Amino acid sequence: MSLPPEVLQIFRDEAEERLDRIEQSLLALESSSDGGELVDALFRDVHSIKGNAGVVGMHDVRAIAHEVEDVLERARSGEERVDVDPLLRAVDTMRKLIAAGPQPEPVSAPEPEPERAPARSTMRVASEKVDDLLDAVGELGRSEGAIVDVQRSVIGLRMLPLSSITGPFPRAVRDVAAAQGKQAALEISGAETQLDRVILDGISETIVHLLRNAVTHGVEAPDARAAAGKDQCGRIELRAEQRGGTVAIEVHDDGRGVAAHLLAEAAESGSLAEVLARPGLSTAGAVTQDAGRGVGLDAVKAHVEALGGSLEVHSETGAGTCVTLLLPLTVALLRVLLVERGGQPFGLPLSSVQEVTIVERPMVLGGRASIERDGAPIPLVDLASVLGGAATPLADHAPAAIVASSQRHVAVRCDRLLGEEEAVVKSLGLLAGVPGYLGAAILDDGRIALILDPAHLVTARAPRDASSAPAPVEQAAAKVLVVDDQFTVRELQRSILEAAGYRVVTAGDGREALGELTRDTEIDLVATDVQMPEMDGFALLEAIRALPERGDMPVVIVTSQGGEEQRRRGAELGADGYVVKDDFDQQALLTMVHRLVEH
Amino acid sequence: MHVHVRVGRERYAFPIAHVREVAELDDVTPVPGAGGAVLGVRNLRGRVLPVLDLATAIDVPRGEAASRMVVVEGQAGEAGIAVDEIVGVGSLPPPTVSVDGAALEGAAVVDGVLVAAVRVDALLEEVVAR
Repeated sequence: MSLPPEVLQIFRDEAEERLDRIEQSLLALESSSDGGELVDALFRDVHSIKGNAGVVGMHDVRAIAHEVEDVLERARSGEERVDVDPLLRAVDTMRKLIAAGPQPEPVSAPEPEPERAPARSTMRVASEKVDDLLDAVGELGRSEGAIVDVQRSVIGLRMLPLSSITGPFPRAVRDVAAAQGKQAALEISGAETQLDRVILDGISETIVHLLRNAVTHGVEAPDARAAAGKDQCGRIELRAEQRGGTVAIEVHDDGRGVAAHLLAEAAESGSLAEVLARPGLSTAGAVTQDAGRGVGLDAVKAHVEALGGSLEVHSETGAGTCVTLLLPLTVALLRVLLVERGGQPFGLPLSSVQEVTIVERPMVLGGRASIERDGAPIPLVDLASVLGGAATPLADHAPAAIVASSQRHVAVRCDRLLGEEEAVVKSLGLLAGVPGYLGAAILDDGRIALILDPAHLVTARAPRDASSAPAPVEQAAAKVLVVDDQFTVRELQRSILEAAGYRVVTAGDGREALGELTRDTEIDLVATDVQMPEMDGFALLEAIRALPERGDMPVVIVTSQGGEEQRRRGAELGADGYVVKDDFDQQALLTMVHRLVEH
Repeated sequence: MHVHVRVGRERYAFPIAHVREVAELDDVTPVPGAGGAVLGVRNLRGRVLPVLDLATAIDVPRGEAASRMVVVEGQAGEAGIAVDEIVGVGSLPPPTVSVDGAALEGAAVVDGVLVAAVRVDALLEEVVAR
């Protein structure tokens, strides 16, 4: 008598679920003082597996389950404490045997009907079938909104909770720690967060890798932890939460953190994720059995980006590391910002767009344009040139979307913004390998919008050409160095001066300004604020007057502090002019600058 | 059987086993960076279909702008191949004249005209390999 394959599959699915639960209960039992209820739950699951294994003819599984039952029985009657290790090994063995299939031996006398798990209102659906259905719906045409609704419900079928893959994680953490003579416990929160099945399938291995990293590179040996005043058992947290159309999965450890020199390097380059993702970099310093083997953070980053997500890393030396995977909720449905360039719509994943701005006056250095955000320059690029296409030049007031991916930023200019849309993302098929795109979406009017890949955009650099970097004001115009610690004041003065035809460079304090003066010999005049960090305006004025070759550089003091004292001090130090910010009007500054540079 | 097409003043033929349908070219959305032989993607009844330009792919001079496409399916996937005209469906004798290029199988004479058979898989692979 042979068993119908469907029945065998049902047994497998159910047994796997029970074995996962058994494993979790065993791990919980290990760290709990009173395990009475846990032992009862364990007993029920083991008993069910024993019964069902008998029915489908897996007698070796039945025999092992029987032995486990005996151990649990003795624990229940208080005869002995449960030794978790051998039971975990028994779980592993049963898993392997169940995966391998039944023995040819015929089914013997039927076992008593085992208690069944309560019926659940879920069904298993092969993901290909869902995709086929989605395509079939698309084939109907897109004239009616109802079809889009159906597409969205079908996409809903693809969603599964993170808990569907977290089962093996606590065990993995325990085993990796034990092998290194360490102690570590995993806490999981937000496991109910839903993700696209396609993303979940690939991400499990990545999370295990991060957990292994956290134990190997993060958590210190028990004595080192005690010496540092930490609990001997390392705490690793896996947290998931939905943030808009993005799911954030964080792996946080309270271990030794990333080495200080790497943090310093990241502070300079702006992205710890990028520093750590350099191939071959291991945070542990030494290559152990588990560290530095196989894929590193570079592979994690590549994998996450391939799914349209990004990677962030934060760390404090001595206190721990937090790696965050930012993943799209679904690869099939994406909220996008639609923009137009060259008459063609493009979609930017909204989760990667930080802000949209009108670029009035970009900074230009070495022919490459950038804009300033929070004191740091962000490259400013034309969408058409990033993608390698041709388009008419951008208008002066073209909007730019600031896009972030893996802690890097880029401001992408386009002709205009079209709005937001929830897009059903489809593969480019044959063209899926063309860099720069996550796929394509069909808009309500039937047009196709290519969906841009944020990870590709942030690696783009503005080409050194005039079409992307707006031409500077007249080449021969006088150049003014504006020094102020406030970005808005600097930009206000820049716009006033540039509108009048001057070339403008800026600095955030006196020290920066001196550096700028040494680098740029074309500067004709300095307009400086007084109160600034590092080096104030008076100190800057003194330093300029002490310069061997350019000591006679005209310097205008621009400050909100009126009063004779300030003015007198400025005059004493050799200021050429004085503009009060309180009654700051364009004409006062312009008249002063004009008088001083047009000798 | 083959689907016979015209590109510029030349004639080519697609094995009918690879042809899914024949359609108007319609609006094609360019895919910047995809390379010269790729015209872009087209919305074909809710699907996103890559469209290739046969003239550019096999390097033949063309007269007018392509207006029709042959939707083909190969191992690499599906694509619309833009052509100037669909001549018709008919048999193609075994090739007697050898032709340059991996995407072409060789040519035969049909009604006094030289017709080259297109190797669909090779044509699509050339685009994927880019």
